Amino acid sequence: MKKILELKNIYVGNEEIKILKNINFEVKKGEVLSIVGESGCGKSMTLRTIIKLLPKNIKILKGKILFNELDITEIQDMERIRGKEIGIIFQEPSSYLNPLFTIGNQIEEAIKNEKSKKLCKEKVFKILQEVGLPENVYYLYPHQLSGGMQQRAMIAMAIVNNPFLLLADEPTTALDVTTALGIINLLKNLVATHNLSVIFVTHDISLARFISDTIIVMYAGFIIEKGTSEEIYNQPLHPYTKKLINCLPEKYRKRERILTIEGEVPSLKNLPSGCPFSNRCDFKIDICEKYLPGEIKFENRIVRCFKYGNIVES
Amino acid sequence: MRQYIFKRLIQFIPLLLGMTFISFIIIQIAPGDYFTQLKMNPEISPETIENMKKLFGLDKPIITQYFYWLKNVFSFNLGESFTYHVPVSYLIKIRLKNTLALSIFSIFLTWIISIPLGIFGAVKEGKFIGKFLSFLAYIGISIPSFFLAMLFIFFISKTGFLPLGGTTSLFYENASFFEKFLDYLKHLLVPGLILTLTGIGSLYRLMKNNFLEVLNSPYIFTAYAKGLPEWKIYLKHALRNAINPMITIFGYELSSILSGAGLVEIITGWPGMGRLILEGVLSSDLYLVMASLLIGGILLIIGNLFSDILLAIVDPRIRLR
Repeated sequence: MKKILELKNIYVGNEEIKILKNINFEVKKGEVLSIVGESGCGKSMTLRTIIKLLPKNIKILKGKILFNELDITEIQDMERIRGKEIGIIFQEPSSYLNPLFTIGNQIEEAIKNEKSKKLCKEKVFKILQEVGLPENVYYLYPHQLSGGMQQRAMIAMAIVNNPFLLLADEPTTALDVTTALGIINLLKNLVATHNLSVIFVTHDISLARFISDTIIVMYAGFIIEKGTSEEIYNQPLHPYTKKLINCLPEKYRKRERILTIEGEVPSLKNLPSGCPFSNRCDFKIDICEKYLPGEIKFENRIVRCFKYGNIVES
Repeated sequence: MRQYIFKRLIQFIPLLLGMTFISFIIIQIAPGDYFTQLKMNPEISPETIENMKKLFGLDKPIITQYFYWLKNVFSFNLGESFTYHVPVSYLIKIRLKNTLALSIFSIFLTWIISIPLGIFGAVKEGKFIGKFLSFLAYIGISIPSFFLAMLFIFFISKTGFLPLGGTTSLFYENASFFEKFLDYLKHLLVPGLILTLTGIGSLYRLMKNNFLEVLNSPYIFTAYAKGLPEWKIYLKHALRNAINPMITIFGYELSSILSGAGLVEIITGWPGMGRLILEGVLSSDLYLVMASLLIGGILLIIGNLFSDILLAIVDPRIRLR
């Protein structure tokens, strides 16, 4: 299958902190890729890097982002890519929709390459129907919609130009379970009908397994493990991934507490020496605190841990 | 909407009654009244003073006086000024025109300059031009209006660039309509510019901060992610949201139309309401003060109602509740 997006050796940050370090992955056409990890691991930052909407003091320091063979890091007028070829949806649709304009207005203005007002409006009605919203939503304001409807409106806005790639930044976290399921099914349908590629960021590794083909596990700005979703879920390699999966409620056994990972994600300003996970890891050996493990490849999988070989990150 | 406005107007009646009642009592309780000054004058006999008191109904208890005053107000009689010996409504009528002209001129100018400047300052935040504008705004806020007025007067008296004091020149009587208008405008320019210059600083900062805050909101991020051009993000998404808090301030500004310019009016010799009110308070001219308080109160209420209606028009969250 054709590659849509490829990140090569991406470093993001500034002089003081590096937020993303040596990020490499690719997304194929029609593929759903999930990025999982705790808060502060750099998941959302990865998405923002792809559309080059980083906070003011943060820059892409190194590397290439190839999008349809075009290097995004070198593009100046990102306006022609954003919204048109890459769409994005967010965690809290209520604050990501402008409260003062109707849904119709906000979707309509996202439409590119369409001059006629009438055709624009027709297009909006079509897309509203596609995401499962009634037509009258066109005339409503964001505060008149429920959370699920707002998220559907956001999705409509993101895919109205039929983009190649949809970035989804924890789109179901703020919704209740049944509404979230509706959104997930909608995304799955869109992937099938539009041959859309999706990068799906989530905390929930079982949701990631349900929706995606490939899973990337991130920790402290590194990709620490990558593989197909079944591989990751059934045979996790990295101690962090194992712990994440053990924390899932479905692994809960009677009369036991739901497991947690002790400690928290280290602050980027104060990383432990060597492997960033070394201070929370049960399999720590001497080398873990001295050197940063490099990427070890097993067929299609990647893991960054000294348990599986002595490769040191340069 | 119509029902809402009607409800609000009904609510204002007790508000106005309470406000006028309290201020009436306070003025009366304050030691000394207009007659204290008269009593000191040996040429006026105590009988004359007693007669005057009776004439104005001031020999009765305060509460009775208040209702007496209120009854007159409902028949559009605001009472008579002690100092000028003419009806208060007549005094206010002459002065009101001047104050309205001055306030509307300066408010219009202040807003038309500060709002675009605030947006520009927010967009250029951190750059040299942005810092320079903030610096100017600090100066504008720090300089008291009376000091600026004095600087103006000094400058104008040296150069004779603009007329000073009053509203008209000597040739006014024989001038054509257009010349009259131009002459009035020239006289208006000095107090008007002073008020504008002192007002711009704070309004600029408010607008700039609103705009900066809005630029950090998630929906602005969405607008960028949609690939909208930057000018559209600023002028459509950010401006509409940043202007909302300003509308409330605009309502308050309307209420200070009468008294807001007092200091500048006095220094530049502009015969407006501010000066009249001050003179009235100094000489305990009861009915004059009460009339200006009443008008001020009504303006405050109208200003608030006006801004609420405007807010409902621009903000669907308020309109469609």
